[in-house]
Amino acid sequence: MTGQSLHRRRVLQGGIGLAALGATSFGRSALAAEEGDTIIAAAKGIGKTELKAIMWSNYFVPMKPPIEEFEKATGIAITSIKDLSTPTIPQAAMAEALTRSPDFDIVHLGSEMIPSLVSAGYLEPLDEYMHKANYKMDAVGDYANLATYGGKTYGIITDGNIFVHQLRKDLFEDADNKKKFEDKFGKPLAYPKSWDDDFQQMKFFHNPEKGIYGSGNLRSRGFGYVWFLMYLYSFGGFPFDADMKPTVNSEAGKKAIALYLRDKEVAFPDSPSWGTSQMIPHIAAGDVYSCQYWGGLIKLQENPAKSKTAGKWTYGLVPGGERDGKPLYRAAGMPVVCLTVNRNSPRKAAAAYMACWLGTEKSSSQIVSDRVNSFNDAWTRKEMTDPRVVQAYTPGGIKAIQANLQVSSPNIYLTGNQEFVDVLDKNLGQGYIGQLKSDEVLKQIDDDFAKVVKRIGTAKLKKDYETYAAIMPKATQPS
Amino acid sequence: MAEALAGAAAGKVAPGRLDVSRSQAVRRFKWVILLPLMLMLLSLLTPVLLLQLYFSFHQWTVYLSSWWQADFVGFDIFQSVFTDPRFGWAVLRSLAFAGGSTIGCFVLGFLLAYLIYRPFRGQALYYALFIVPMLTAPIVIAYTGQMLLDRNGPLNDILSWLSGHDIRVLWLSDPDIALLTVTLLDIWNWTPFSFIIMLAGLSSLPKEPVEAAQILGASAWRIFLEVQLPLLRPVILLALVLRFLDAMGSFPIIWGLLQGGPGTATETLGIYIYITTWQDFNVSLGAAQSYITMVMMVGIVLLAIRLLRREKRSLDTMYTKPRDAEETA
Repeated sequence: MTGQSLHRRRVLQGGIGLAALGATSFGRSALAAEEGDTIIAAAKGIGKTELKAIMWSNYFVPMKPPIEEFEKATGIAITSIKDLSTPTIPQAAMAEALTRSPDFDIVHLGSEMIPSLVSAGYLEPLDEYMHKANYKMDAVGDYANLATYGGKTYGIITDGNIFVHQLRKDLFEDADNKKKFEDKFGKPLAYPKSWDDDFQQMKFFHNPEKGIYGSGNLRSRGFGYVWFLMYLYSFGGFPFDADMKPTVNSEAGKKAIALYLRDKEVAFPDSPSWGTSQMIPHIAAGDVYSCQYWGGLIKLQENPAKSKTAGKWTYGLVPGGERDGKPLYRAAGMPVVCLTVNRNSPRKAAAAYMACWLGTEKSSSQIVSDRVNSFNDAWTRKEMTDPRVVQAYTPGGIKAIQANLQVSSPNIYLTGNQEFVDVLDKNLGQGYIGQLKSDEVLKQIDDDFAKVVKRIGTAKLKKDYETYAAIMPKATQPS
Repeated sequence: MAEALAGAAAGKVAPGRLDVSRSQAVRRFKWVILLPLMLMLLSLLTPVLLLQLYFSFHQWTVYLSSWWQADFVGFDIFQSVFTDPRFGWAVLRSLAFAGGSTIGCFVLGFLLAYLIYRPFRGQALYYALFIVPMLTAPIVIAYTGQMLLDRNGPLNDILSWLSGHDIRVLWLSDPDIALLTVTLLDIWNWTPFSFIIMLAGLSSLPKEPVEAAQILGASAWRIFLEVQLPLLRPVILLALVLRFLDAMGSFPIIWGLLQGGPGTATETLGIYIYITTWQDFNVSLGAAQSYITMVMMVGIVLLAIRLLRREKRSLDTMYTKPRDAEETA
């Protein structure tokens, strides 16, 4: 009895003590550091290390505070970066790979380059370091799979690049619009669940004379293919079969290309040449009714200081297609920007632990909640409820990101990704501006894909296919 | 003696010993000056050209093996370039782009040079103003162009204001216009180049023929057409050739603005070779494409040199004829 009382008292005393400690700044930092303690312990023996990275400064700037914290604890820091935009990093990384250069320790790139760079012998598998540091990428759904290859992890994600469907709440909830829509189509104006629903609404609200365009989706080189792949996946399509025979020219492909091309009816006439830098200002200015776009845009357009349309959007799951009569939702999760480590670097262990540190929930939530440098987006499970992150994205926005992350679908995850993407870019672009008919686009894509497969090697790509198929989301829709 | 007589009969004076040794010295001096440069150029170029040749005959899949392990495939890669319609279209687009840019730059450059080549107060200011576009980096022109040429951008606004109609030309998104747009931007960028060459040509024209024509009562237009223009022919040819060669390899404006799009509307040789080599990492195909392009350009250069020599000869004849006539008189 006495023993029991004493024990209870001790527990109570301990609790009071911890609460008192927590109230001090020392206590806060001590408790907050808990998550990365094992990483620090694993990295501490390495000693002072100055790391060099290839990274876009827009991603690097919000990483600086956690990097400084890691440096204080371990002596390891990223001291310089080669500042390149993410779309141009594959070229730099491949040049480093071909020369087997040890110069850069970390390369921050889209995970779709992992198969090519692993094949070229450039990337270090990170599983051993993750194991030693007791670190696990705690991503929503299967999102962490998008940085693996052949069953190994090659990238630590820092950016939850996922498509979110967004539409103009002010127009969508307007009673007059609701009535007009119902009168016209005989059904209520509801959140679009299918691509057809989405298109019907885009067409209904498309009114260029009043400055409103139905769609803000991209169709230019380097961007348009992302939408096409999302459509293709959402009808159960896949670019290849297990023997690496191209299968874009299929029923799913026909539906995907039809969706891709019909957007023209409700798009900006400039869409064949507009990328993100041209489209984002129009979306934020409220010139668009609906689109699927990267979640990072939410932080910008919900920031009253930067956007005229803060509070005027509804966010949710991207519309879906169907497979075997059942709805299928696939959100484009590309590029999954992650930290990879150069296998040839003499500092690769330090680089790997730094990557793990930046991928902890603690570091990541700090990075992604930065509203000014909004390039890194939420991806870990805990971030979905972290007040700082929720505030940056709005509760509706973060809920939409969480839903879409559960059905995030990859870029073409094969060695030679850039070649396959170029094939899509060229043929989809020609189709969109009318240089090719839709059936010619699909046929041409398959023909061109076959040439790339032949050149890289069917046997090699068949192995890659296993990873590609494995990282596709398992869920047909978010739970 | 017989030779000297034959020379004298042909109206020529046999070169003296002093002349011969001078011409030999000049020739020797030329080689002394040129040889180090040529050696440096060769030592820099030869490895690159050889490596490129190696890649053109060996299929190297960059992800899977080292370059020295690439498979020998004979002429297969060249064959695939020649049968690739995308390459053919890229050649045609490059010719259209380079041709348009060359003519545009020349016409504008010549016009500007003709306007200011006679000394006047403030000439230096105009000169400085006219060469500003050439000092602007092409990539900056591309990004500025993106803003200026937007459907709702300043250019369409100005055109609308001038015409009194609402003009909304899709300068960058209409595949029928996009190539013209980048050509116009290139013209803006490089007109000063033609301007400088033509200004130098006009300024160095001998005054006597013009004055003689004026005394004979020829109009300014006739003097320009029948005296100045023929005398400027070698300079014009040089301006055209240099601009054309440069425009054939143009890259930053097109890439910065459209990356070869919309569709493939602006996919010129430079863009396509870049995509093949650095986006697709198909180094072997890119090397073969570059080789074919290089041979094509060498052909153009040789043709240009031939034309330039012919122009020089005809100009020399034009100058020597009156002198001979004078001497005979």
